[in-house]
Amino acid sequence: MIIEIGHFSTIIALVLSVFGMASAALALKTRNPDWARSGRMAVTLIFVLLGIGMLALVYSFIVRDFSVLYVANNSNSNLPFFYTVSAVWGGHEGSLLLWVFILSVFSTLAVWLHWRTQPTIMPYLIGVECAIIFGFLCLIVFLSSPFERLLPIPLEGKDLNPLLQDPAMVMHPPMLYMGYVGFSIPFSFAMAALFSGRLGEEWIKVTQRWTTFAWMCLTTGILLGGYWAYYELGWGGYWGWDPVENASFMPWLVGTAYLHSVLVQEKRKMFKVWNLFLIIVTFSLSLIGTFLVRSGVLTSVHSFATDPERGLYILIFVGTIIGIAFGALILRSAKLKSQVELDSLISRESIFLFNNLFFLVAAATVFLGTLYPLILETFGGGKVTVGPPYYNAVFMPIALGLLFLMGIGPYIPWRKASVENLRKSFSIPLLAGAIMVALLAITGIRNLYALAGSYVVAFSGMAIVMDFSKVSQLYAQRNSSNIFKGCLAAFTANQRRYAAMLTHIGVLVLVIGIIASTIYQTEKVVSMKVGDEMSIGDYRMKLTNIHDVEGGNWKAEEGVFQVYEDETLLTELRPQKRIYNATQTPTTESAIYSINMGHIFLTMPEVSPEGVAVARGVLNPLILWVWGGGIIMGLGVILNILRPRKREE
Amino acid sequence: MFMPIRLALALTFILTTPWAVLAEVQDESALDIQVREIAKTLRCTVCQTENIWESGAPLAQQMRGVVRDRLKMGHSPEDIKEYFLSRYGDYIMMQPPAHGVNWLLWAGPFILLLGGGLLLYKEVIGWVRRTPTPSTTPPTPLDEQARQRLERELES
Amino acid sequence: MTKGSQLTLVLVLLGLFALFYQGLWGDPRHIPTVLIGTDAPMVEGPDVETGDLISLNQFKGKVILLNFWASWCYECKVEHESVLQLHKLFKDDPNFVMLGVNYQDKLPDAQQYLKEYGTTFAHMRDLHGQLAIDYGVYGVPETFVIDQQGKIRYKYVGPVTGHMYTKITQEIIAPLLKGKPISTPS
Repeated sequence: MIIEIGHFSTIIALVLSVFGMASAALALKTRNPDWARSGRMAVTLIFVLLGIGMLALVYSFIVRDFSVLYVANNSNSNLPFFYTVSAVWGGHEGSLLLWVFILSVFSTLAVWLHWRTQPTIMPYLIGVECAIIFGFLCLIVFLSSPFERLLPIPLEGKDLNPLLQDPAMVMHPPMLYMGYVGFSIPFSFAMAALFSGRLGEEWIKVTQRWTTFAWMCLTTGILLGGYWAYYELGWGGYWGWDPVENASFMPWLVGTAYLHSVLVQEKRKMFKVWNLFLIIVTFSLSLIGTFLVRSGVLTSVHSFATDPERGLYILIFVGTIIGIAFGALILRSAKLKSQVELDSLISRESIFLFNNLFFLVAAATVFLGTLYPLILETFGGGKVTVGPPYYNAVFMPIALGLLFLMGIGPYIPWRKASVENLRKSFSIPLLAGAIMVALLAITGIRNLYALAGSYVVAFSGMAIVMDFSKVSQLYAQRNSSNIFKGCLAAFTANQRRYAAMLTHIGVLVLVIGIIASTIYQTEKVVSMKVGDEMSIGDYRMKLTNIHDVEGGNWKAEEGVFQVYEDETLLTELRPQKRIYNATQTPTTESAIYSINMGHIFLTMPEVSPEGVAVARGVLNPLILWVWGGGIIMGLGVILNILRPRKREE
Repeated sequence: MFMPIRLALALTFILTTPWAVLAEVQDESALDIQVREIAKTLRCTVCQTENIWESGAPLAQQMRGVVRDRLKMGHSPEDIKEYFLSRYGDYIMMQPPAHGVNWLLWAGPFILLLGGGLLLYKEVIGWVRRTPTPSTTPPTPLDEQARQRLERELES
Repeated sequence: MTKGSQLTLVLVLLGLFALFYQGLWGDPRHIPTVLIGTDAPMVEGPDVETGDLISLNQFKGKVILLNFWASWCYECKVEHESVLQLHKLFKDDPNFVMLGVNYQDKLPDAQQYLKEYGTTFAHMRDLHGQLAIDYGVYGVPETFVIDQQGKIRYKYVGPVTGHMYTKITQEIIAPLLKGKPISTPS
């Protein structure tokens, strides 16, 4: 009964999305604000109804109602309670519902938040959001409903994929979707700007916080996905350039370009068309990502259903949205005269343009690599794999270029930089990079990527430090306070700028972590019996016992490894080889010990009946910097969003 | 059948389970490292975008076994890659070989970067030329103003 | 935006969506084989039931059908009946040999499987998966047809039932046995 209520609410929401589009159109046609108001009501009701739909599904999972097909496929009576809720988005149908639910939450928020200040935008916003909601709801209601019943009712569910029974996987999809969907708000404002012809800076200023928020969610989602892959998939890496990972990375790259490029329009009122183009590409890539993941066009570890009909529908829907958006852009831009004023090639404006170029080429690289197998196959060129070695070779130089620009852009003046400016701002950072490389070379590091990476990181890091310390000193002198108060004063006076710098510092920390943990990873695979020892790096691991353990819905063989550094016992690591009862799926559960900002990472992928265990040890130096960098980035973004409003905003 | 053959068969029977391939490893030797280097370049064909070193699939284990056996028999890493290519085609490599149409994939990003960079450079130079100097100064944003004021104060 | 960049944008978008549309109808799991027309590896392995050594060499000059299977494989059970049917159809031809290859299996399981479902031809065991790798096998069931010259002429991934059965019997094996050319590679 409950699930039918959810089903029914979702259908009503679908009808209301049509109503929302119609009221938006009428509001524009008649200029009668009542129509806009009824559109607002429709959006709000859609949110409430989809909330009911979500709750109905959550309820069915909690009571383990296996008469619901989706619940029977993704749950089991022994599934821990914690995961019964996240199982709601453990499959295709539920993920789509979550997607559109988040969309309805954001739409409702946007409509109510900007109602007073942006009355002319509202009909467009309502129309665009309702159109996207309509597209996804059609997909859910007609082609992949999570509300289907199953007859006869099975006694037991098939269980949630064991790989998804993990805390990071509880949060990863919602964060990722909040990122994708968050970009729909600036996208809608951009569409409003295009349709209405009001192409000023208004829409950019209004959506700046939305954009930043969406970007933060997407970043967090991607990092959580990496974190999950790191300790759940058991090979000791966190990024595999898998098509599904790439699908989330592409909108991130273009979204980041957009995030930077809007600053130019805010300050200099230039590149209007370019920014519209970027936000349309960002949101299009979010949609295309959904298409790629959901249609089975690309195979990947995470691939879901292969169903041409469903894929065709998503393609038509996504194609329509993207087609309309670009069509509007092309028609409008034909009438718009570009009024670019640039004083010098050496200026912040121009550095931002090159930043955009690098981000777009980076995104194009990922796009090309992801789609290349499909392209080649379509033209009868056989089947190939485009794996990590390709990206490591091609993507890394582009990423280094971006990091270098990161050290220049924020510290070069708008309009025009004099040679004196450049010398003042960049001679010390350049020197810092050189010193860093020299130091590393002396300690015996010869890897080209490691050296180039450290140069760029030292350069960009030093540029931030120089800028901030200079401004802090100024503030300290002016207020005749000490330097710490000066720092604080500088930060609060320019919170937007220095919060962004904090995010940049996070990126640098992350990059150091990535360089150290990929290039200087040590790994070893050894077969051991109880009593045997293996050594890896400075550590020895002694297998003292293998025993059986049991969890709520799994059984496992657990190896007990004592980890020694010299003769000191550091810890005991207990990697497991699990078999989940319901699906009989094996997983390898890693055991991790943090030391010196790095990890000792241990898995036990195989245990023979004779008691010979295959142990795989990995040393990941500075891996905590990867996650730490992510946290610093997030902190920067939060400080950015929470900055006090200024008069000009 | 001859006795030795039977004996050999019996022995091979014992060695059939997958772990047997790995059980012979005691500590990493030069051979192990070589196996790993090669295994990382080969794709586990039943998995998706995972190499046979990282994959836990039985086929991947057996492929690692084949790599090990062939190395022991004195095959070079190149020979082994050739062998897998002849069985599975380009698909088995973790990266497309850099020949034929694949150069588009390998060079594409750099062509885009160089081409885009050149175009952008020309465009920017064009804009700079068309901009009257000194350009009309629009109001500088507040934080920038504050900074400039501070700098003036400091210099004075 | 200039006319040129507008046109580029439109063309890129159209190309992209045409590509996606095309991609929908392909099977991403289908991988073309490079083995058609190459010499079939002369593999050998112990017989599942008797333990005697079976070598492909013994059957040189004959048309050989190799069928990779495993007791844990569901689709192998699906195709079992028609595989037996296929053997019945050609077994009287002295130039035809059919061999099963038991892949990634435990011996007792494989023996039990054959006992339960019945068999009329011999099966060799694939020790260490070496045979499967020699034949570029991805998963079971997979079926290969080798001609009298010892060349691989046909490969199919999946159960040999329905129209695949008709195709393999009528368009591949029958012409090969008569020494006629076959038109359909892979």
